[in-house]
Amino acid sequence: MAAIVEEQVEILSARRMAWLRFRANPVAVIGALMVATVVLAAIFAPLIAPFPDHAGAVIDFRNKHAAPDGTYLLGADKVGRDVLSRVIYGFRVSLLLVGGVLAIAVPLGGILGLLAGYFTGWVETLITGFTNVMLAIPPLVMALAVGNVLTPSLTNAMIAIALLWWTWHARLVYRVAKSVAAEDYVEAARLAGASHLHVLCREILPNCIAVISVKTTLDAAFIILFGATLSFLGLGVQPPTPDLGTMVADGRQFLPEHWWGVLAPGFAIFFATLGFNLLGDGLRDMFDVEV
Amino acid sequence: MAAGFLEFMLRRVAGFAGVLLVLALMIFVLARVVPGDPARIALGPTASAEQVEQLRDEMGLDDPLPMQFVDFLGGAIRGDFGNSLISGQPVAQEIAALLPATLELVLVTLVIMLTLGVPLGVLAARYRNSAFDAVLRIVSLVGVTMPSFLFAILLQLGAAYWLTDWPILGRLSRDFAGFEGPTGLLVLDGVLTGRFDIAADALRHLAFPAIALAMSGIGQIMRITRSAMIEHRRRDHVQTLRSFGVPARVVTFRYLLKLSAIAPLTIMGLEFASLIGNAFVVEMVFSWGGFASAGLEAILQKDLNTVMAVVLVSGGFFVVANLVIDVVIGLIDPRIRIKESR
Repeated sequence: MAAIVEEQVEILSARRMAWLRFRANPVAVIGALMVATVVLAAIFAPLIAPFPDHAGAVIDFRNKHAAPDGTYLLGADKVGRDVLSRVIYGFRVSLLLVGGVLAIAVPLGGILGLLAGYFTGWVETLITGFTNVMLAIPPLVMALAVGNVLTPSLTNAMIAIALLWWTWHARLVYRVAKSVAAEDYVEAARLAGASHLHVLCREILPNCIAVISVKTTLDAAFIILFGATLSFLGLGVQPPTPDLGTMVADGRQFLPEHWWGVLAPGFAIFFATLGFNLLGDGLRDMFDVEV
Repeated sequence: MAAGFLEFMLRRVAGFAGVLLVLALMIFVLARVVPGDPARIALGPTASAEQVEQLRDEMGLDDPLPMQFVDFLGGAIRGDFGNSLISGQPVAQEIAALLPATLELVLVTLVIMLTLGVPLGVLAARYRNSAFDAVLRIVSLVGVTMPSFLFAILLQLGAAYWLTDWPILGRLSRDFAGFEGPTGLLVLDGVLTGRFDIAADALRHLAFPAIALAMSGIGQIMRITRSAMIEHRRRDHVQTLRSFGVPARVVTFRYLLKLSAIAPLTIMGLEFASLIGNAFVVEMVFSWGGFASAGLEAILQKDLNTVMAVVLVSGGFFVVANLVIDVVIGLIDPRIRIKESR
């Protein structure tokens, strides 16, 4: 009997073990379901939203500030547009922002971190020094300044955030790469005549993937939060594009009577950030890494 | 030992001066690549080309860029950031007038963060894996993931429906309009001038903004304190103390907490950057009228001189806070200052 159990354990691959650990973690599963909800809602927005055209510049003053009811599940906004439909489309904007920022910040930070961790001397000093300086800049203040210089828009918000975001990835990858670079097998690869590029891409980078993916998931939460804050302050996506932060800012003028216009997009942001955060925590336990 | 500590501090100061220098360079470059002429923004669309040219000359905008940067840096060191492009008043004066409001808010926020975050973290570690611990985990998760503007708005909404007497806008009730004290920190001024009614009123106004601002920090500090306490509990010297029969209370507060305070303090230094950012949001929601609200307005109006000053002062805030934290950590833990000074 004992022999059989042992055999089964051996068959489990590392990936399968990780999956089992993930599945056994209810928090991570809830997080994954929340993220899936947000992503699916964003992708299939035209099919799910009760009033897909309300994502644009529709005006229907008869239903101005309509309270939540059978037609408008989450009420209507100041020009009579369905809040639920706009929230669903708002997820699209949030996820686009996340995608854009990560597409710039992860490779940039990753490459700089790898280089600083692998090469010693002035490369390391220069990159870590610059990273530390950038980390000391209050991100929102800087993003506001950048977002102001460039005209407020989704693309410019992406650039403004990405310009600051790469630093965290650089620091993280640097830490991992530095410790991996000291391993014997890296030394062995070097002695066997492998090029720097080969060592970086084939020996060191694979060891950083777990950390990067956990960090990226957690990042998604904070980029959504950050982007929503920027647009709440009026420096993000411009109307009539439905952006969750802008919707909160718009609805704020009509508090406390028409609370749905603020609470629906506000809690939608919270739902998305919470989901990504739980999923990120789950992945961290699964890969057993420190981020 | 004293020399080691001095060297440790000097290194830190030099590092932070470097941070401010790079920040100044970045914001300067940013302000100079902006499409739009600062002189034209200042004078408005009706000014003649000669007037604009004259102001450009006065502001030194026709000088070579490196020279402009040196001028800007020299001015910044003396506390001179030029005049606001919108109001025409010296930027430094405008900021100095608004700084106390923000400073008061941030200080009270820090007090709330520490007095709630650290003890709750200690308790969570003490009753690890209990229902209490689970509740605290949820609270800290909510604090970290909820947008601060949503939390601020929820507080306001709650007051609007259920706590109608509670002030949700501004720093003082209308009855006390025009009150001015020596420091600009209204609670302190109220106490100093013997007007305890004003101090109490100012505290009431402070409560919601400060709580909204403290939320994310409380969560972080709680989590870090908890894990630091748990980690240090296993250390040999702590085990030794316990085996000598030192009461758990003494071990926790006299030995464990001192060791475990370092991690949350470090985090607080890093958190300070996002605290300043969130101050922009919270001040806006509560019409606080502080430095951050003014900065936001300047940014929206493209008042470049004010924007540059706001970014630099925010950076300065961060740097000073971290310097203070480094000193405190160095005092708590001699190992750090010895290691760093080598």
